[in-house]
Amino acid sequence: MIYLDNSATTRTLPEAAQAVQHYMTEGFFNPAAAYSPAVESERAVNGARSRLASALHVTADEILFTSGGTESNNMAILGSLGAMRGKGRIIVSAVEHPSVYEVMRAKGKEYELVEAPVNKEGALDLNALAGLLNENTQLVSCMQVNNETGAVNDIAALGRLVKKTAPQALLHVDGVQGFLKVPFDARNCDLYSISGHKFHGPKGVGALYVRKGTRFIGGQIGGGQEKNLRSGTTNTPGIMGMDAALQYYLGNLDTMRGNMRECKLRLAKNLLAIPDVFINGPAPEEGAPHILNASFMGVRGEVLLHALEEKKIYVSTGSACSAHKKGKNRILNAMGVIGDRQEGAIRFSFSAFNTPEEMDETAEAIAGLLAMLRRFKRR
Amino acid sequence: MEHIILVRYGEIHLKGLNRPFFERKLIEGIHNALAGFGAKVRREQGRIYVLGVSDDRVEEACDNLTRVFGVHSVSPAASVEKDWNVIVETAAKMVEEETAGGKMTFKVFSRRADKRFPMNSENINHELGHELLVRFPNLSVDVRSPELKVCVEIRDKAFLYVREIMGAGGMPTGTAGRAALLISGGIDSPVAGYLMAKRGLELSAVHFYSYPYTSERARDKVIDLARLVSRYAGPIRLHLVPFTDIQLAIYEQCPPKETTILMRRLMMRIAEMIAEKDGALALITGEALGQVASQTLESLCVTDDAVHMPVFRPLIGFDKEDIVTIAKKINTFETSILPYEDCCTVFVPQHPVTKPDVKKLRESEAMVDFSEMIEKAIAATELIDVR
Repeated sequence: MIYLDNSATTRTLPEAAQAVQHYMTEGFFNPAAAYSPAVESERAVNGARSRLASALHVTADEILFTSGGTESNNMAILGSLGAMRGKGRIIVSAVEHPSVYEVMRAKGKEYELVEAPVNKEGALDLNALAGLLNENTQLVSCMQVNNETGAVNDIAALGRLVKKTAPQALLHVDGVQGFLKVPFDARNCDLYSISGHKFHGPKGVGALYVRKGTRFIGGQIGGGQEKNLRSGTTNTPGIMGMDAALQYYLGNLDTMRGNMRECKLRLAKNLLAIPDVFINGPAPEEGAPHILNASFMGVRGEVLLHALEEKKIYVSTGSACSAHKKGKNRILNAMGVIGDRQEGAIRFSFSAFNTPEEMDETAEAIAGLLAMLRRFKRR
Repeated sequence: MEHIILVRYGEIHLKGLNRPFFERKLIEGIHNALAGFGAKVRREQGRIYVLGVSDDRVEEACDNLTRVFGVHSVSPAASVEKDWNVIVETAAKMVEEETAGGKMTFKVFSRRADKRFPMNSENINHELGHELLVRFPNLSVDVRSPELKVCVEIRDKAFLYVREIMGAGGMPTGTAGRAALLISGGIDSPVAGYLMAKRGLELSAVHFYSYPYTSERARDKVIDLARLVSRYAGPIRLHLVPFTDIQLAIYEQCPPKETTILMRRLMMRIAEMIAEKDGALALITGEALGQVASQTLESLCVTDDAVHMPVFRPLIGFDKEDIVTIAKKINTFETSILPYEDCCTVFVPQHPVTKPDVKKLRESEAMVDFSEMIEKAIAATELIDVR
């Protein structure tokens, strides 16, 4: 198997799986209980909270554990808007994940929703955004790394721009694809979402950074966990599993990023040697190390995907929810990647555990399949 | 008191000497629908009685029974001693449950099969009606269109019921033989299969897939659809036929305008061969006249020309809306509209021929020797017993 869909999810690290099992079968106590084994579980969770906080350059009391990226994104938007007075302008980038985009659209009924355009690589157009920010702007939401093309947004510059032109506005950054893959400092924004299973942690766990002093209302009501902002019995196994993955990643950060980048460049080079293949998004040496988007002219991405699947090579058309409808890829549309080029688009996303040999094998398989598949196109 | 379920059947009454056969098949269908309920099924005097279903599962059992073809209607009933006081008390309890103290019009409808019972049906209607009126001041009589019908049947026991739930109708499964349904994964073909099964046919189903042009999910979807239809039609023998090679050959070697209609002809031919092996005597398709290019009258003539078996098209005169209504009723609609590519849409030409000519199409088909490909496809066909 060659797994190149790591933006969808990653394989859980053995270290993370062991932590999950340990906190299921041994340290299973409810961290809110009064006896000493429970206190130990609580300490473990607090340790994980501190370690995540320091990875983000923030403090532990600014971290909320959640059930994953979607909840973190929902909570960031609904929790911050819910605590604000007035119904001003809210800005969302055109290429956001549905867990941001759809929430902002729903809020667009009460607020003045403005879509911020992206450039042809899929990164936010900061000049255009500057023109959209005004004194009525309350929230800006933008992803750190475009999950289709790997384009990286300059969050530091974005943060400065927002502070300068709309000082009252909050900046939410969706870090689900970006966290750990590219350098980042959460102090540049007010809210930051992460998801455990995108960096070899377990599914069903994530976190949200909320800058200290941000007026914020919680979502889930109940026992008052997570500073009374997100009630629910603490997911100790999930949190500790995510923590184990985080520690592994941080301990091998340069190797991990280096491996992914090497794979990406190798595959890009191999693919560009095949006729009528185009790279979408930023040049491979730029952009995030783990995402490569390419268009294979004359075939449908979906067909190529299934043909690769037969060879146990797993990729994505990058738009699982709308792959069946022509011209329905909102993200590629926003970047101006349309028509045949959109139909033939495939997203490859790497982990540090992929190898250069796999990239050669994948490109070879694609070249062979294209020769066959390109004979048959709709006429 | 014991809970039983009365099952009425309709059209079978018309059958003469074959009637026992039809009734046996109906009971078979009822047994299948109630597998695991611990039910006993008894037939007498044109009625079927289901006994032994535990109280808390009566609703579920009734629901299953309404999907059995040949069932006209079912009524959950109380079976009690033929003692007047017991009958009155039981009726009163039922009325109390139904009215919950509210206003309602009612009538008593009784039938006396056991003529030894001292009151005739007229007497029972009057007397029971009287008793109920006295006990429930909010009740009033309306013999023409009552909101509540209190039914009493005096047989070896007294059966009382207030509800009659309409069944699926049709003929018992397996009374009409077997036919093979061409199933695509769309809205129409499951409905076509349902309608023909309703006339007593057992179903085989034939599905064509074109990996990698169709996905694994499209295949699962067809299995799911067959399973939903089998809730009515009984077990379905589902054949999954790999079709990619044939489609590619058509694409490369035949006129582009004719690819769809040629594909249909080859599908029909393969389906017929599979049907023969399964002991099926006819093919079923979900085609409706004029719906798409391959469903014009000319196109249907050309597809029919490829096979010898009769081709049943129960939806031929239906509007899409009517088909959707049935699909929703039999619960296949939500599955049918799942957005997975099926092989029919992959190689669709921009301008398919809408008025194909039989002779010309025969010639086009003869340009390629498909026989080996067909044999290969049939050999690689996978059979799933869906139930």
